[in-house]
Amino acid sequence: MVEDRTIGGRLFAAVNFTLLAIITLITVLPFIHVVAGSFTTSAELATSKFVLFPKVWSFEAYTFIFSTNTIIKSMGVSIGVTLVGTLFSMFITALMAYGLSRRDLDGRNVFNFLVVFTMLFHGGMIPTFLVVKELGLIDSYAALILPSAISAFNMIILKNFFQNIPEGLEESAKIDGCNDFGILFRIVLPLSLPAIATISLFYAVTYWNTYMSAILYLDDSAKWPIQVLLRQIVVLASGMDYSASLDATNPPPDQTIKMAVIVVATLPILMIYPFLQKHFAKGAMLGSMKG
Amino acid sequence: MNKKSFTLLLSALLTFSMLTACSGNNNKNNEAAPSNAGTSGGTDTATTAPEPEKPTEIKIMLPLNTTETPPDTIKTEVEKLTHTKLTYQFYPADTYEEKLNSSFATGSLPQVTYLKNQTTFIQMKESMKDGQFWEIGPLLSEFPNLNKLKPEILNNTKVDGKLYTLYIGRPLARQGIIYRKDWADKLGLKPPANVDELFAMAKAFTEQDPDGNGKKDTTGIVDRNELVYGAFKTVSSWFGTPNSWGEKDGQLAPEFTFPQYFDTMDFFKKARDAGYMNQDFAATSKTDAVNMFVSGKAGMYIGGSMQDIDTLNKDLIKNFPDAVLDTHSMVAGPDGKFAQWMIPGYNNVVLFPKSAVKDEAGLKKILAFFDKMMTPEVANLMYWGIEGTHYTVVDGRAKPADDKELIEREVKGFKDSVIGEAETNGMYQSLNVLPGRIHAEELLLENVKVGVAYPTAALDSATYTSKGVELQQIISDATYKYIYGQIDKAGFEKEVQAWKERGGEKIIEEYNAVYKK
Amino acid sequence: MQEVSAQPGVVPELKPKSYKSSSELKKRLWRNKLLYVMLLPGVLYFVIFKYLPMYGLIISFQDYKPYQGITGSEWVGMEHFQRLFTEPDFLNILGNTLILFGMNILFYFPIPIILALMLNELRGTFFKRTFQTLIYLPHFMSWVIVVSISFVMTTMDGGIINELLSYFGFEKINFLLSPGWFRPMYIIQIIWREAGWGTIIYLASIAAIDPGLYEAARMDGAGRLRQIWHITLPAIRGVIITLLILKIGSVLDLGFEHVYLLLNSMNREVAEIIDTYVYTAGLRQGHFSYSTAIGFFKSIIGLIMVMSVNKLSKKMGEEGVY
Repeated sequence: MVEDRTIGGRLFAAVNFTLLAIITLITVLPFIHVVAGSFTTSAELATSKFVLFPKVWSFEAYTFIFSTNTIIKSMGVSIGVTLVGTLFSMFITALMAYGLSRRDLDGRNVFNFLVVFTMLFHGGMIPTFLVVKELGLIDSYAALILPSAISAFNMIILKNFFQNIPEGLEESAKIDGCNDFGILFRIVLPLSLPAIATISLFYAVTYWNTYMSAILYLDDSAKWPIQVLLRQIVVLASGMDYSASLDATNPPPDQTIKMAVIVVATLPILMIYPFLQKHFAKGAMLGSMKG
Repeated sequence: MNKKSFTLLLSALLTFSMLTACSGNNNKNNEAAPSNAGTSGGTDTATTAPEPEKPTEIKIMLPLNTTETPPDTIKTEVEKLTHTKLTYQFYPADTYEEKLNSSFATGSLPQVTYLKNQTTFIQMKESMKDGQFWEIGPLLSEFPNLNKLKPEILNNTKVDGKLYTLYIGRPLARQGIIYRKDWADKLGLKPPANVDELFAMAKAFTEQDPDGNGKKDTTGIVDRNELVYGAFKTVSSWFGTPNSWGEKDGQLAPEFTFPQYFDTMDFFKKARDAGYMNQDFAATSKTDAVNMFVSGKAGMYIGGSMQDIDTLNKDLIKNFPDAVLDTHSMVAGPDGKFAQWMIPGYNNVVLFPKSAVKDEAGLKKILAFFDKMMTPEVANLMYWGIEGTHYTVVDGRAKPADDKELIEREVKGFKDSVIGEAETNGMYQSLNVLPGRIHAEELLLENVKVGVAYPTAALDSATYTSKGVELQQIISDATYKYIYGQIDKAGFEKEVQAWKERGGEKIIEEYNAVYKK
Repeated sequence: MQEVSAQPGVVPELKPKSYKSSSELKKRLWRNKLLYVMLLPGVLYFVIFKYLPMYGLIISFQDYKPYQGITGSEWVGMEHFQRLFTEPDFLNILGNTLILFGMNILFYFPIPIILALMLNELRGTFFKRTFQTLIYLPHFMSWVIVVSISFVMTTMDGGIINELLSYFGFEKINFLLSPGWFRPMYIIQIIWREAGWGTIIYLASIAAIDPGLYEAARMDGAGRLRQIWHITLPAIRGVIITLLILKIGSVLDLGFEHVYLLLNSMNREVAEIIDTYVYTAGLRQGHFSYSTAIGFFKSIIGLIMVMSVNKLSKKMGEEGVY
């Protein structure tokens, strides 16, 4: 790619870089605080307002959360649910999005409208619970996946991406004898890698953050995903008990433990981003088509 | 790499696509597997050796107040002692209401259902009246231990004169001041004998540099965004304000129509204006308030429970090894009289849904379990853990083991489910080491002697049940605004008027109608 | 289950695109049969998990008691809606919700777009990837954490910002309790937590732009800004509009937790929104019907908004969301 070597171009690049560097710093500081806080003592956290680098190093918080295998087990649950859920969701979302992206599909607008409608109107917690119960999903991991298998938002976005693919490509594939499945898997998906990466990430994060369905549909606490544990600790340690019940027999967990759990629960989902990121590079679409 | 991973994904998806394209009804496949998983939880219980009488199987649902669900250590012991097969289902306290409501609406509450607090109890009253839960009042006399439960507290949990619940007891009045005794000693201050001295102490702690660092960086009182369990209500009862409702000309009237309520607001207004308490208390969470205290920024922590002193002390001495804490609660009002507000004596209650407990025989079996829970043996096991592992007995009191994490994990989850209190279930009192805590325990008894009961605990008001929370918000907003100087006395009266118009008047009528009887 | 699976077969006949001879339609339907097969799992999902439970909305017109169920509860007609509209604070609460939503659109919505454009202009893969990864971190912190960190920074009792202000001789500012600061605090926190995450979708659409277009523009001597204006922005316009329409649909649905955590007695006049009101007046007091009715009201407003904006966008020659 040709570099822009004019003065204006360089100035633009410099200003742009500086601004982004500042923005990045601002967004990342509180996170550093959380990480630093997880490696220090609760005493230091209480006295110094905003720790960015621990004066006293302590691994107590991590020793505590890893002293039983609960966190590892629930992490395993979350990883499993996220993997299976994302694959499953991507698959049926892509099918539906592709079908609806085709302008020659009769009833397309009705379907689209009915999908948007579900973003606005919800039956509520109890009727959904009953459906899950009737399907016999209570206490199964499928209850964390099936009831939220398609996000209307993600489906619409993916459909949008598919629509931007030149129709000519599909036509020529058709002439070559591909059926609709063939077009989707051989032409459309390879051309939509940035979109696939994006929507997969959205699904993965949603599954990773599963909380309420676990509480409602899983009675066996051994099956709880990591977010239940995370939220429980954060809420207890933040003194956010909305009911304000008076209870001295239960002193809250240390702030350091709260931060350690945040770090542990966030790391795995952060790690998938770099793998997806290369698909966001400019020209990824063209590259994959040529390759 | 790019291409390879993609091909992999593609082939996976294609395989899937063939499946869906052919079978078409993949939802049914998903259905079959989970239903097996669903039952497997229940079946492994049946493998116990055959016994003359099968242990009673009881499923129990309760809020989880600890970081994670406790292991079976305690449960197994309880089962042995009570000849039961127990299934504990813990759900995070934070979202317990959602779980409770959806289980209730779908008829899937277990045999034993713990509520969360008094608010959820009030919400459930209507369904108790409707006969959704077993009435247990008449049966209690058949159980010698349950029969020991305190009648006055049972009375507070009755609905239309009928008893549906067992209660988890709490001391009636454990609120007071936790303060920096080292600061007070240094400045030559005695614990405040009356509200004026309390104010003077707040002032001295702010202005006279009690931590001796040469900077004016301390505050007298640290409070939080909570009028009841924070400082406000406790101080208001010292001023002589009735406990939520008081008698005025033979009629029940809400506390905020009494002049003492205004005196209390003036107290806090003066203290905040002068900088003797944290400026942002109306937005300060409990954790932030505790943080200010343990980081040596504040001298007095009022309200809640004086038993908090152990937790506060633990963190404070990490930062200030020389710090000394003490408790105090006997603060006289302007008229020289002592008064302490009291809670209705319970923290939570247990219900027995008719949808899960089919007949009275089944109910009696479950009550028999709770009857055994009220023996010292079981109560100690559930409250303190296993003797020798989680605690030891010193001078007839329980001394928790040094391994706090072990207790936190294995015992704490069960602690809040023990019904009754030490006087009735015979469990050990705690062995206290910290002088301030020993003092606190003495003060708890003193508090009750001048205790002011909550007069409407056993009374019922339909309007209060349905609109109490939102109406109370009008008053608490007005109270904060008065303290922060945004409205004056006339403005406050206007808000009280709004409270009355939106349903308060009705609550007054409804309470008085039943109060007379 | 039986009637559910019967559904998809019927749907294609719901609305033919235009009236043409039925044999032509049949032919087209047959030609696209595989496309309908593709829709099947998705349609099943929406029918079972979204449309089936919608009967729950009925309780908006009932005095619903969990133990009586929908069949046994008493019908009250529009009572709950009447109560909502006659609530003395209703207009205030609605206004607060709309203002926060407006600020959201005005101050938050453009930021991920700008950030994405900036990131896209960044040279050097290393910095690009690093910055991208780091600015999306805050999305993973729950509101509880975000709010408690900002409490620590802004409190008048020793918060860093106020300490700095007073160090430089300025008055301390009551960020947490003054009604004037609530909205800025709210928006800043949203921008901080979501802006980086919001760029992902735009970056993905930018990635799909043909690099040849830029090269051609450079040949014509177009500078960076002109390339952005003439190539990048038009290329992501579709995504921007789709996101905007969907966002407008959630006009009264700002989410409960964030606002609730910032809400206190001193800023309630500006901070009480519909979602926090539902919590106090509905959920905390066990009024399922009232809560559902308010949700229903929110949905209807959202529907009206989506339909009008969608129509508008179609008039302007855009695709719209349906």
